Amino acid sequence: MGPITSIAGFPAWLDLVIALLIGIGFGFALEQAGFSSSRKLAGMFYGYDTTVIKVFFTAAIVALVGSQFMSYFGLLNMNKVFVNEYYVGAAVIGGVIMGAGFIMGGYCPGTGLSALAIGKIDALFFFFGGLAGAFLFAETYPMIQNLANGNFKGPVKINEVFGLSPGLFIFLLIAAAACMFWVAELAEKKFARPDISSEL
Amino acid sequence: MTARQIITSILLIFGGIMLFIPLSGKYSLREKPGQVLTTVLDESNSLNADQVARFLVTEDSTLLLIDLRTPEEFRECNIPGSVNVPYAEFLKQDPGLYLDDEGMRHVFYSNGDLKSGYAQTLAVGLGYKNCFVMKGGLNAWYVTIMNSEFAGNKISARENALFATRLRARTLFNEVNSLPSSLKLAYIASKRFDPKKLDGGCE
Repeated sequence: MGPITSIAGFPAWLDLVIALLIGIGFGFALEQAGFSSSRKLAGMFYGYDTTVIKVFFTAAIVALVGSQFMSYFGLLNMNKVFVNEYYVGAAVIGGVIMGAGFIMGGYCPGTGLSALAIGKIDALFFFFGGLAGAFLFAETYPMIQNLANGNFKGPVKINEVFGLSPGLFIFLLIAAAACMFWVAELAEKKFARPDISSEL
Repeated sequence: MTARQIITSILLIFGGIMLFIPLSGKYSLREKPGQVLTTVLDESNSLNADQVARFLVTEDSTLLLIDLRTPEEFRECNIPGSVNVPYAEFLKQDPGLYLDDEGMRHVFYSNGDLKSGYAQTLAVGLGYKNCFVMKGGLNAWYVTIMNSEFAGNKISARENALFATRLRARTLFNEVNSLPSSLKLAYIASKRFDPKKLDGGCE
């Protein structure tokens, strides 16, 4: 039964090796999906290329469906799966900062590293910008810690908040995703920018 | 069909299946009713108060005492080292939080035999191993451990050991339960099972 690491009682270094392998796989998949191109990523904001939302939404739903099925068949213990904790203020402000950085830099942190790995110069600058941000956050933490830790909601799950069964919530989410994919492709046609090449 | 339409339809099919399968399936009983009854009724799956007392004084860390009474009753008195999982709570949340550990023996107790028996039956049915009850519950504990005195004329070595164990268990019980209530509350809070304690993620 999963999750693998907590049942097998692996030593910490082996956990890190597993994490490294998964990370390499993730980076490789990002690169192969074309996410190391800042044009593709920025396309999400301007509407001419909506691969980002399609890929990430599909990945989230596949993981959701997969984990629920594995839990149903007794292969995964959902109680031992980490649920990220929700700090409302931090999530809102952090989301805005992240979005602004995303459109200015053309990458999100993962894709930035993936682009750096194939040798993009702008990704190098993006990477140092990210480090500078982390440094700034750490240095100003005493000033913003009330904000960072405020409005703590704990590890909430959306379906529990709305009182929906997991199955219904998943179905609604998939339906919403289907609509979103459709709208996204309409947007791609409407905002098409033939002048922007899809080459790396 | 475009790639989008294919992927969307596959996902929608899975979503449709999700609507109809009971995803709370992990809470449904796995063992066959006959098997559950055999296990529960087997004498070796219940411990008497003396056995629990012996585990207590030897500080056996492979034993988890689960108190199914209400928090008020638990605050009033509890067997040292036990954790409070009120019966209503036991039914509501997934007991896998504390039962999913094959190296531990889980001993349920309540005031009498009723709730602990139900809890043991459910836990066995859910497929958890090493689930015991303390026979007679706290009532039996009071009778055998707290209030028993040797009444015969000549004490055998075995009886002597038994009463020594009872006396030590009694002392421990009294020590823990006569703590000032602030200390007691802090102690109880430190022993609560909390699903939020899992760590991980990007932090």
